[in-house]
Amino acid sequence: MDQRALVLQRHRHLKWKTLDPLEAVLMVLCGASIIGFTVAVLCDVVTRTIGHPWLWLQQVTTGFFAYGVFIGMAAATRRNDHLFLSEITRRIRGTARTALEAFGRLVVFAVALAMVWFGYKNFLLDLGSFRMPSLIPLGVYTAIVPVAGALIALFSIEQLVNGWRHGFEGPEDMTSVVEPVE
Amino acid sequence: MSNGAIVVTMSLLFLVLGYLGVPVAFALMAGVLVATFFTPVSFPSMIGQMFHGIDAEALLAIPFFLLVGELMTSADVTQRMIRLSQTLVGHLRGGLAQVVTLFSMFFAGISGSSVADVAVLSRTIAREMDREGYDRGFTAALIASASTMANLIPPSIMAVVYGATGNVSIGGLFLGGVVPGVLIGIGLMIYSYFFGPAGVKKQRASLLDVGFALRDATLPLIIPIIIMGGILTGWFTPTEAGMIAAVYIVLVVIPLLRRGHIRKLPGDFVYTGMLYAIPLAAVAGASAFGWMLAYLRGPDVVATYITAWAGTSGPKIMFLLVVLFVIVGDFVDAVPAIIIFMPIINKLTEIGNINPLHMGVVIITTLVFGLITPPYGLSLLVASKFVDVPFGRAMLRSLPLYVVFFLTIAFTVLFPDIVLWLPKQFLPESVGCFKSPSGAGYICP
Repeated sequence: MDQRALVLQRHRHLKWKTLDPLEAVLMVLCGASIIGFTVAVLCDVVTRTIGHPWLWLQQVTTGFFAYGVFIGMAAATRRNDHLFLSEITRRIRGTARTALEAFGRLVVFAVALAMVWFGYKNFLLDLGSFRMPSLIPLGVYTAIVPVAGALIALFSIEQLVNGWRHGFEGPEDMTSVVEPVE
Repeated sequence: MSNGAIVVTMSLLFLVLGYLGVPVAFALMAGVLVATFFTPVSFPSMIGQMFHGIDAEALLAIPFFLLVGELMTSADVTQRMIRLSQTLVGHLRGGLAQVVTLFSMFFAGISGSSVADVAVLSRTIAREMDREGYDRGFTAALIASASTMANLIPPSIMAVVYGATGNVSIGGLFLGGVVPGVLIGIGLMIYSYFFGPAGVKKQRASLLDVGFALRDATLPLIIPIIIMGGILTGWFTPTEAGMIAAVYIVLVVIPLLRRGHIRKLPGDFVYTGMLYAIPLAAVAGASAFGWMLAYLRGPDVVATYITAWAGTSGPKIMFLLVVLFVIVGDFVDAVPAIIIFMPIINKLTEIGNINPLHMGVVIITTLVFGLITPPYGLSLLVASKFVDVPFGRAMLRSLPLYVVFFLTIAFTVLFPDIVLWLPKQFLPESVGCFKSPSGAGYICP
C-alpha cells in the first residue's frame, strides 16, 4: 500500500470515488503549505542576513503553517491517518466493531460541527483583531478552522455511511493490526 | 459541578474516547467541549484556543525536522550511515545489534522522529539480523529502544514542543538531551554486548574501510553540524536551522548522492505536508485541554498532592513527576502529554526551585521511555509490526532494556551539573546564567 499516494487506497470501501479529487487537492495543498513556509523562512533568513529584513514574512510563514495544519487535519481524517491511543477496534470483528467505529466517527463529527459553528463565531470576533506590523486581521488566519471543520464533518459522514453499508472492516485489517505512519 | 469533578470528567472522557478509537486530537477536543459546557468559558474562545496552540513560531521546527528525516529516508541516503556504523562496531559481539544503536545515534542527529528511525532500521538492518539468527522479539525491542534517542539527541521534536509551550530555551533542551541520549546508547550497547544474541562474528574493518565509509557518509553527517552549529552560533533559531538542513538535503545531498530521487521530491513534500499535521492536530487539541486544566486550577490540586509527599525538595518532586510521567507515557502520546501537563510542571518547577531546563530534560527523558512501554509504546508497536513479530513477544524482550532507561532517568535527576554542562558551556543563558556586569564571562546561579 503506497502511503504516499495522493489518494490512499487503504480502507477503499469507506470512501466515495466522488471525494477522491478533494483528498488529492488537500494533499497538494499540504505540500504547497510546507513549500510555502519553507520559502518564507528562507527569505526571512536571507533578507535578515543582508540587512533588509521583511518583517511581514513571519506572518506569511505562520499563515502557511496554520493553514497546513488544519488542511492536513482534514486530509488525515479521510486517510484515517490520525494519531490514535489504541488500535483496539481493529482487533474486534462484527457488530461490536461496527458500533465502536460508528461511535468514534460520531464523536469526530460532533467535534467537527463545533469547529464549524464556534470556529465561525471566533472568526467573526477575530476580524476585529490585527497582527502587527502588517495589520492583517487575525480572522484571516482563524478562518481555516471552520473550513477544516466542514471538511472533517464531510469525511466523517462519508465514512459513517459507507461503514454502515459495507462494514468498517477492510481486507488490510485481516493482516495488519497496526498501520505505522512511515 | 465542582472544578475537580469537571477535571475528572474531562480527563476520563479523553481517555475513554481515545481508547475506544477516537483520534487523539478529537478525543481531547471532545473532553474540552464537554468541560466548557460546565464553565462560564465561551465555546468560540475554546475553539480559538486550538488555533492559538499551534500559532507559535517555535513549533514550525517540527515540520522541518520531519521533512529532513523523510527526505533522508525516502532518498535512501541513510544506507551510507549504516555502512559507517558497520565498519565501526560491526565486529563486536552482537555486531548488528551494536550497529542498530550506533546508527540510531547518528540518525538522531538528523531526524527528531523516533518512528522514522524505526522505519529505516526495520527495512534494512532488521532483515540482516533475521538472517543472522537474532530473535525477532529482541530485534524489535532493540530497534524501538534505540529509536528513542531520536527524541533526546538534537534535534528533538519533543524538545521543540516542550520549549515552545514551557518557555524554555529549545537550544538548551537540545544540548541537555545529549547526555541522557548518549547514556541510553551506551547502555543499549553494553546490554547487547553482554546479554544480547552473539550474532555472526565478523572481522574488524580496516582503517581504510572506515575511511571510505566515513567519506561516503560525510554529506549526511554534516546535517547535525548545520543544525546545532547554526543554533549555537546564534545564526539561526531551531526553526531556521531545520529549514537550512532541509534545503541542504534538497540542493546538495540528493543531487550529489541520489540524483534519481529528484523527481520524487514533490511527493516527499506533499506527504510530509500531511504528516506534520498529525502531531500538530494533537497539539491543537492538547493546548485547549491544557488551557482548560489550568483554568480549572488542576495544577494547584496536583501540586498540592505532590508537595504533600515531597515538600519543596527538588529531587523528590522530580522523582514523583517521573513516576507520574511513566504512567502518563504508558497511555498518552508524549506531545499532547507535554502540553496538557505543562501548567503542572511549571508550578512544581517553581515550588522545588528547580532549573526549568533540568526539569525539561528529565521530563523528556521520562517520556521517551513511554515509547517502548505498553499499551501505548508507539516505537515498539511500529517496530513489532515492521519486524513482523507479535507485540507481546517484543514487549517481553524489551523488559530487561527498561533497566537502561531507569538508570538514565535516575542519573538525569541526580546529576544536574553533568546534564546541564553542555548548555552551560554553549548557551549559558538557557540555564539562567547572565552576563557579568564587568563584561567578562557569565554569572550562573
